[in-house]
Amino acid sequence: MSETEKSEKTVFDVVEGLTEVDSELMKEFQAAMQNVVEETAETIEQRRLRAAQSRHIQLKC
Amino acid sequence: MRRYSDVGCSLQRSPFLLRSFLGGTYRVTREGVKRLYTWLPLNSSADLGQLAAHISIEYSATTVATKLANGISGAVKAVLIEHNYIDKDYRSTYYNFYAKKGQQYRPDCVRLHFFDETVSFDKNGLKLGWRGDRLDDHYFGYMVLRPTGIATIGRSVVSPDVRSGAKGGSPIITADHKVHLLGHTLSVQGFPSMDQHIDISVCAHAACWSILRHYSESQTAYAERLTHDITMMAQQFNPGGLVPSKGLEISNAERVFQAAGTFPYLVARKAPGSSDISFYRQLIAYVESGFPLFAAMHGLSHAVAVVGYEWDNPAAPPPPSLRYAWDEVKALVVVDDNYLPYQSIPAKSGAPYCAEDIDSFIVALPEKVFYPADAVDRLSPELFKLGGGLLDLPQASDSVVRYFITTASGLRRFMRKESSQFDPKLLEIVMQLPFAQFVWVVEIASRADWDKGQISARAILDATASLRDDMPFWLIHDRTTALVFNRRTIGNAIGGMRALKLNGMTGTALTRMAQNLRPTQPK
Repeated sequence: MSETEKSEKTVFDVVEGLTEVDSELMKEFQAAMQNVVEETAETIEQRRLRAAQSRHIQLKC
Repeated sequence: MRRYSDVGCSLQRSPFLLRSFLGGTYRVTREGVKRLYTWLPLNSSADLGQLAAHISIEYSATTVATKLANGISGAVKAVLIEHNYIDKDYRSTYYNFYAKKGQQYRPDCVRLHFFDETVSFDKNGLKLGWRGDRLDDHYFGYMVLRPTGIATIGRSVVSPDVRSGAKGGSPIITADHKVHLLGHTLSVQGFPSMDQHIDISVCAHAACWSILRHYSESQTAYAERLTHDITMMAQQFNPGGLVPSKGLEISNAERVFQAAGTFPYLVARKAPGSSDISFYRQLIAYVESGFPLFAAMHGLSHAVAVVGYEWDNPAAPPPPSLRYAWDEVKALVVVDDNYLPYQSIPAKSGAPYCAEDIDSFIVALPEKVFYPADAVDRLSPELFKLGGGLLDLPQASDSVVRYFITTASGLRRFMRKESSQFDPKLLEIVMQLPFAQFVWVVEIASRADWDKGQISARAILDATASLRDDMPFWLIHDRTTALVFNRRTIGNAIGGMRALKLNGMTGTALTRMAQNLRPTQPK
């Protein structure tokens, strides 16, 4: 991060009352999200293959 | 009254005379008497049959009248027939196709305008009269008729409120369309539609045209594309007059949307025989986002534009389970060139086809949507893991999940308008977070909240997040807590997170965000 970026205020600097989050709880959630990423990548690839097969379907009615 | 022979003699001195008699306003030319405006009151739908008495045969007025009688409601009490109308879309096909044919076609169209019972027409002064402030409030849109003999319904924008059988409250994607008529600038909210030409365009062309005309009318970023433009954009080469009638491949439709400046994304259902409910959840998510879809039914070789839906209203509550917005949909609303617009098709099983016959769809996205709906669909149920510790969420078995795309400015506009529902600090966060242009919104509602049009919690995701981003969030909040994510710290999503206790929101109703579509108000 550049010096300019470091000096810029963010919402975390200007909103009062923000507190840290229980990192153990969030680590569990993040682990679950990492599974989501892997499963989604597989689904996207399946859809990509089906889309490729669909591209030559003729629509004329 | 002057005899016709008197009128004929007058031609020697002045070839263009205006006379009003026999229910219309006429222009007298060397070719004969041409009527410009005809007012047709409708005491019943049967009166639509009189269109044929006022419109010459090449416009197939009898066929059009039958379609209108079966498809528009009794709220339409008069039709103003505008003859010799120059229609830009028809002209594009006329210059490039019809003018080159051996059979001679007219270059002009007829335009029908639909009004309610409060509007009158002074045929002598060519003046429309109405009750109330705005003529727009009594105007239901227009339909152009092409002089092509078959499939003559051309560019049309008709209000969904006058479609027969329209379901009150059904959300439909619409835009404001300006109409210039007799010195008035009218506005009608609707979705464009037309019959396919059968020769120079087929169903897929008509669906592409409808969607792109909606885009150009609703957003200045997109240029207007005429009917023949669509035919040309579909191919790498000029297809001439024979190839378009053979249809389009789905790849050609993608090409049309790409050439129009959008970023088309083709979503195909998984192989037949495998359950793919996620496909339909994404379909409804994009429609709820305000994106009309080019939907292809492979078995029928047919394409339509999906432009809305109807919510289901079951007599008994469904059994407890995690449900999605798609599970609450009874029917989709489509623009199908074989019917008048806003045809309702059931979600599951029905004639002539149902939503489950849709095998693939193209959503013409703007550039900055990188995070796919498949990821949002898979991620949404994981949000319940935040309940019980960090957030106060309903039980997954008692919840309905809904997700859609909106702009960050749209989100801010909604929260500003409904600011009484939110802790001012939450508003402050939303106004100051450095959102990208587009965000995915995931709303979780308990069954009780869903039935009241309310929600229990909302997650805002970065629509430009990478597929591999395991924490693509900007903000997640319920009524008591907000989790704010710092997307400037890459690789340390948890370290950059903060929480905020929210005040004053436990007693308020959190309204479902539904501002992209227009609820139907049947007349």
